[in-house]
Amino acid sequence: MTAAAADMDSSVGPSGAIMVLLVEDDAPTRERLRDVLAGEPGFTVREAGTLAEARAVLGQTAPDVLLTDLQLPDGHGVDLIRETRARLPGTEIMVISILGDEESVIAAISVGATGYLLKDAFPTDIAATVRDLVAGHSPISASIARFIVRRAQREPDAAVRPQLNTARLTPREIDILWGIAKGFSYADIAAHLGLSRQTVPGHIKSIYRKLEVNTRGEAVFEAVQQGLIKL
Amino acid sequence: MSAGAQPTGAGATSLSARWPRSRFALLHLSLQATFVVLCLFAINVSLPTPDRSHAVQEATVAGPNGAAPVRLPTTFPGPTPRLINLALSFTAPEKLTEEWSVMTPRFTNAAQILVNGVVVLDTRRKASNNRPDRNAADIAVIPAQLLRPGVNELGVRLHVWGPLSGFLDTLYVGPDSALRDAYDWRVLLFSTLPVVFSSWQVILAMVLGIMWFKRRQETAYGVLAAAMALGALHTFLIPPEQPSWLAGVRAAAIGSAPLESSLVLVFCMLFLGRRLTPLFTVLALAPGAIIVITGLAGGPEMVRLAFVWLGLPAIALSLGGVVWLTHAAALSRRDLISVLLASAATVLMTCLIRDVLTIVGALPDQRIFVTRMAYAAMMTMIGACLTWRFASALNEVDSFAGRLVTQVREAEDKLRASFAREEQRKHAAALASERTRLTRDLHDGLGGQLVSIVALAERNGAHGAQIGEAARSALRDLRLVIDAMDDIDGDLMLALGAWRERTAARLRPHDIRLDWRPLSPGGLPVHQELRPWHVIQLLRLLDEAVTNTVKHANASSITVSFGSFRDQGGAARGRIIIADDGHGFSGQATPQGRGLDNMRRRAARCGVAYSLDSEPDGVRITLDLPERFPETDNAA
Repeated sequence: MTAAAADMDSSVGPSGAIMVLLVEDDAPTRERLRDVLAGEPGFTVREAGTLAEARAVLGQTAPDVLLTDLQLPDGHGVDLIRETRARLPGTEIMVISILGDEESVIAAISVGATGYLLKDAFPTDIAATVRDLVAGHSPISASIARFIVRRAQREPDAAVRPQLNTARLTPREIDILWGIAKGFSYADIAAHLGLSRQTVPGHIKSIYRKLEVNTRGEAVFEAVQQGLIKL
Repeated sequence: MSAGAQPTGAGATSLSARWPRSRFALLHLSLQATFVVLCLFAINVSLPTPDRSHAVQEATVAGPNGAAPVRLPTTFPGPTPRLINLALSFTAPEKLTEEWSVMTPRFTNAAQILVNGVVVLDTRRKASNNRPDRNAADIAVIPAQLLRPGVNELGVRLHVWGPLSGFLDTLYVGPDSALRDAYDWRVLLFSTLPVVFSSWQVILAMVLGIMWFKRRQETAYGVLAAAMALGALHTFLIPPEQPSWLAGVRAAAIGSAPLESSLVLVFCMLFLGRRLTPLFTVLALAPGAIIVITGLAGGPEMVRLAFVWLGLPAIALSLGGVVWLTHAAALSRRDLISVLLASAATVLMTCLIRDVLTIVGALPDQRIFVTRMAYAAMMTMIGACLTWRFASALNEVDSFAGRLVTQVREAEDKLRASFAREEQRKHAAALASERTRLTRDLHDGLGGQLVSIVALAERNGAHGAQIGEAARSALRDLRLVIDAMDDIDGDLMLALGAWRERTAARLRPHDIRLDWRPLSPGGLPVHQELRPWHVIQLLRLLDEAVTNTVKHANASSITVSFGSFRDQGGAARGRIIIADDGHGFSGQATPQGRGLDNMRRRAARCGVAYSLDSEPDGVRITLDLPERFPETDNAA
């Protein structure tokens, strides 16, 4: 679906079925996504229409991938992502976004999601994106890369939401984000920065992980590191 | 005291950085020794005198024990006042061809000269001659009737009234032309030059006095002005002939020397930043003041006593203090002004010692006093230095003011720029928050509905494909509008980056590849004036080009190339080329579809030069970006 997917070698997939928990309140969309994924070989899909249903499923089983919408009738997807990230560290989390806008995607990333999926993505792209995520390759869009770089390079403004922890990003990671924001392919970026093309998607996941502020303790630690709190 | 607080200020060069202390002391001492040698050399240069053949030196002095022979020049120690009669003679030629004159180069205190018993010259008639500290010479023409061929009598009545012993230098008698030159030279040296120095002192006293008057904290300037004024008064105040009823004025004139020297001492202390207690000031100025008061109240004899017992030690002490102060300052500060002051003190001290030796008779046959002139010259020099320093300080103030003006202007510019930046930031923040609001609205409303339509259409199979495509197209457009509102700081590349993603996703089901090819390393130039509506127009133009390719061209790839190039004016201009590898418009007679018109119109609205080439191997649209994007919509 993104430049990442275009460059990706999709033969890299895990052996065994990938279990996906799909949380989406809009029935047509949920059914469409379920049909696409269930129709692909190597996927089993559980679905939930509300936060409560999703929690019930997560109580019984640990899915490989949590695919969740943010606006749910009985709560916010961000809470679900935070809980899952804390309880099931092995589960990859992906947010389903209507517009791919940075507000919803970054909010999800900051609590532990490492990818996003557009709700109107083409069927082939949906399966490929989920497989890539399981393989450790996080998708990123130009506008999200732009948003992260912008946040990393400007003075932190406490009033701006969502909060984002950009302090730990390395100059190289920022260069990669700039390349993505300007529409260059992973191959172009790798060539320009003297990296191996295969390592770029891994960098994206590492960037997402660094942006995450998933526990109170870590948030305090980061605040101390950045000099926001004096002990 | 403030003058002393900054003695190394404007005009003074600090030597301390370059010279270590011991090396500097050695250098300073050798410099002072050089000054002493130069000074002695200058004093001993023989004064202009007429030819020796006109000299009259052999005399007899009438005394109580009969006549005694003396040879001029000679001093006459003894009680004062008294009158000394000398008898001399000279030989005149048989026939006079020109006027003859008699010249007395130096005398103390006054001389009447008689030729053959007739007075031809009385030095007392010229008031300035009566000052013993002036090295006065006098000349008179001998009336022709008085001259006899052969031996003539020459008589001198030397009046001595103290405080110095009597003195008479060699007399010269001869043709006026032979004597006049030497006389004129002496007048220039001992009469005109002191007047010139004194005039300078008057002027400097006024300048320094005005400086002090306008800047009372500069006490040193005021003290120096007082010393100079007193010196000038000393020169121009001519005492009347002795004996006189105006003894007080004369006393003031004599008494001014100790007062002057103590004022100079006070000046040095102030200037060099020494602490000056009121008691010290009173003690320093007391001798001079006492002499003046004595002169006004008591008789001439009292003044003489006061001057000898009080005035001379006061002068010596003051000058000694000045020498010590200035040399200490020169050695510790090692700056140009201190060294200059110390040198001046050295020269003055040398002159004073020589004059004292003259007075006590250690240097017989001499009665030329140099201290007063050296003092006047030094004061003039110091005054000039101070004025120079003052002017330099003014220059510094001027340049400081200039710097201040520049700094204020710079600060203003910075403030203005930061204000503009702040305005821009506020504008960007407002835009961002508006965009967030819009995104949220679209996300919650229209976006969700369109996504549902896509899902529903897809479930209807081929039947709903068209509906799905339309809904996807609407979603794409929504994303485009939101994207265009983002603050991209004029970097069109950022907008193109997001467009590339959307377009690649859109082309993938059609099996069309999207190639991205930068033509120059920097990509497109940054346009600070770029506004969201420019971005929307350009991205829609590109969308329409892609739509045309998808619908009509039967292409397998689309290549977007971009880069900057220099136009004729040297400005950086951006260019975007979007090309496909389809079959072009070969199938159509007129490629003037509605899509093409739209693209042309969008380009024109943004000031972009649009050109389209259709070849059998593909369509190529070239967009040449303007140097500046128009502020207002050209179509509006």
